[in-house]
Formats: sequence, C-alpha cells, structure tokens
Amino acid sequence: MDTKITELVKGVGNLVTLPDVFVRINQLVNDPNSNISDIAKTASQDPSFTVRLLRVANSSFYGFSSTIDTVPKAVSIIGTSQIRSLALATSVASSFDGLPNTLVSMEDFWRHSLYCALIARILAKQARKCDPDALFTAALLHDIGELVIFNRLPEQAKAALLLVLDSADEMPVYQAEQQTIGFDHAQVGGELARQWKLPPMLEECIEFHHDVNPALRFPREVALVHIANVLALMAEINTLDADDVSPIDPRAWELVGLSPDEVMESAVLEAQSEVVEAEKLFFGK
Amino acid sequence: MAIPTRLPLALPGFEHIKRGWNDAYEANAARLNPGEYYVTKNDECIYTTLGSCISACIRDRVTGVGGMNHFMLPASVGESGWKAAGLSSSTRYGNFAMEHLINEIMKNGGSRQNLEVKIFGGGRIIANMTDVGMRNIDFARDYIATEGLRVTSEDVGDVFPRMVVYFPVSGRVRVKRLRSLHTNTIVEQETRYLHTIEEKPVSGDIELF
Repeated sequence: MDTKITELVKGVGNLVTLPDVFVRINQLVNDPNSNISDIAKTASQDPSFTVRLLRVANSSFYGFSSTIDTVPKAVSIIGTSQIRSLALATSVASSFDGLPNTLVSMEDFWRHSLYCALIARILAKQARKCDPDALFTAALLHDIGELVIFNRLPEQAKAALLLVLDSADEMPVYQAEQQTIGFDHAQVGGELARQWKLPPMLEECIEFHHDVNPALRFPREVALVHIANVLALMAEINTLDADDVSPIDPRAWELVGLSPDEVMESAVLEAQSEVVEAEKLFFGK
Repeated sequence: MAIPTRLPLALPGFEHIKRGWNDAYEANAARLNPGEYYVTKNDECIYTTLGSCISACIRDRVTGVGGMNHFMLPASVGESGWKAAGLSSSTRYGNFAMEHLINEIMKNGGSRQNLEVKIFGGGRIIANMTDVGMRNIDFARDYIATEGLRVTSEDVGDVFPRMVVYFPVSGRVRVKRLRSLHTNTIVEQETRYLHTIEEKPVSGDIELF
C-alpha cells in the first residue's frame, strides 16, 4: 500500500512544485551560518512575494501598530521562521493550479483550508508552546493529499464522495477513501510532504490530522490541527453545534491543553469574521 | 447495536426504491434519488441529499403512514448556471411530485386533517446563478398553503447542500448541512435529473415520473 502512495505522489512531481521562495528561505532558516539579512535579501528577490509579505505584515492579521514598509523590517519584526511559514502560506495555493480536478472548485477547497488555518492560529495563541504561524501553515496544507487524489484518481475519488452521500449519516471522507481507494488523502498528503522535504512538523500534521494517535514527534501540533479541521467544518456550514460535524478525539483537547467549552465557539466566530480578509491576503492575485 | 431486521415489504409501487439496513440509525433506510418518492407504513427511515432540489416530508401523525419526495421545477442549464423555465409548464412537475406523495399517503391510511408537513432543501449552492432553490421553496410553500396544509418545520434556502433523514412513524428529522466539498457531486446528480425531466414533453399526465 505504501508503495502505491509513493508512486501516486511521484506521478505529480512535475505538475506541482514547492514555491521557489519557500525553498530558498527554508534553506537559509535551516543554515546556521545564514543571518537575518540573507533571509530578507532572498525574500526581496521575489517581487510578488514581497508584495504579499508586506500586505500581510500590515494587515489586521498581525495588527502591528507601526507601518512595515520594507522586507528587512518585516523579517525582523515577524521573525525568520515565521517568514518561512508565510512564504509557503502565501504561495502554496497557486502552486496547486497545476493539479486541477472536477470534484471540488479550488475556491471551495482553499476556503476550508483557510478556515482550518485561521482556527489553528487562533487556538495556537491560546495553547501553550505552539507557534501560531507554523500552525497556520500546517493547517492550510492539511488536505493537500486530496488535490492529488482528485487529480490522479478521479473515478475512485468520486466513488468515495458518492459513498459519503449514500451513507445517510455522512461517513467521514477519509473513511470512504479507505474503502474505495485503499488509502486516504491524509496518507497521500503526508507522503507529498516527505517527498517535498517539508519541515517534519508539517508532515505529521498533514498525515495524522484525522487520527492523532500515531503522531509521536509533534502530538500537540497534530492535535491542534485535528481540532481546527473539525471547527473549520463548523465555520463553513455556519453552526456552533458540534453534533453537526464529525467528532473531535477527546485526547486532542488534552494534548493541546484547551477546553472545548472555553474556546470552540469563539474560535469559530473569530475565523468567520476573518475569512474574507484572509482570502484576499493569501489567495488574492 | 441493534440487530438488523429483515427488510419489511415495500408498499406497491415502491419496490424499486433502494433500501438497506443503516447502522448509524439502527433502522432500515430508503435512499431517494432526485425525482423519486417513497411512502411507508413501516418503522424505517427515508433519506436523501439535496442541493437546489426540495423534499417534502409528510405523514399522518395518528397512523404514522408517511413519506418523502425529492424534486425541482425544470430549469435549463446554461453557461451561467441553471435558468428557470416558464412557470406554468414547470410547476406541473412540482404538482405531480406533491400530489403523488399526498395521494399515496391517503391511499395507505392517511387522513388530510392529520397530515404534518416539513420541507427541506432549496439551497443556493452555486454562486452567481439564478436562485432556482428559492423558486422551489416558493413553489412548495404555495402548494402546501393552497392544499390547506401547514408547514410545521423547515430548513430551506441558504447556501448549503443538505442530507435529510426522515422517520415517518415518529416524524423525527435529522438535517445535516453538507460541506462545499460535496457541492459538485450533488450539482451533477441534480443536473442529470434536470435533463431527464426536460427531455420529457410536459403534456399528458402521470407518466412524467
């Protein structure tokens, strides 16, 4: 089964690639000999990223009081590893344009991902020891395996969606995929993250967002994305009743150290109020 | 977990409806596709998924006989989405869907004064298209009012597809709004249904369904 997933992901290697600006900044962040001005210089060399970076830096997303008008200032205020997260977050949607499909519109797909990202960021600020920007990016990427499956295995993917609609109680999509395909989009996304050599935290969050138990290296982050994914569904169908969506593993709440009664409603409402602006910031052309 | 019970006999005329045991609801369940309807006296549930289409759930609250339909008024599919067809010819399809459901309930022991009506669906699930969902809602409400019946519960309109599960014996309904991941699949099912009703001439009578 694992080799099937590996082959599937290898098959899209030419169609979708990691954004260059992320790859270069990632190398610098991982290089102990690089400094902050190297990172600012690399970021500045990509004009479209510069525009997006300054737009995000000056938005209510960060809420800095002073104007951030240069890339070096943005890097020093926001932080180098956060700039790396932003480089991925602001470029990843367009890099998947090479993987079109007929099952879901890209707009609908990325809106769910963005809801998940906004909620992960909100929860990460409240939970201890979580980097909100890294969690934002992990959550934004959590379903990328779906785009691979929808593009490469459209008939089986469609059969999975029909199985969900035929189930009467809305069987989770990943379970339907396991039945019709033999594996699911979380496994495929995890493999894509490995082949892309994404930071291991992102890889675990993507691979285990439906089942937090196997996550050994980053259990807290994985649990947070697991929760954010379900709350994103609530935000999307505009409900505050957890019974309307798939259940959250109670262990996930323990791992992040938050209580659903205290954070669930406010996180959903806050994400709903932020989503239109965030769509412009992250996906605006 | 309840043990699956043998599938009870379907009422005459409904043998073709797909049915089976559903673990989640611990009941036998009949699956309606667009254009179908189902009436039962048994303790079983009826379920369907709705985009712009509408379902009326009607039962006799005393005898428990009841059923569900699933229909939409014809519209044409153009570049910008679905367009409404002329009203007089198109309401004919809605009239048939509602009439058949009510007539079958009466035929199987229902009384008009005991009927309890609920309606669901009519979502505007594609942006920038004529709101055919609202047209279906308006039709259903008008029809029900004209028949002197009253809607006791509804979840209609808005932008979501829905999954509806109805238990005629108790009148219980479970409505789940569906995420947009399912929109295209449901639009495709409803478009295929639209083509089948458009191809049939709107003359004569009952053969339309």
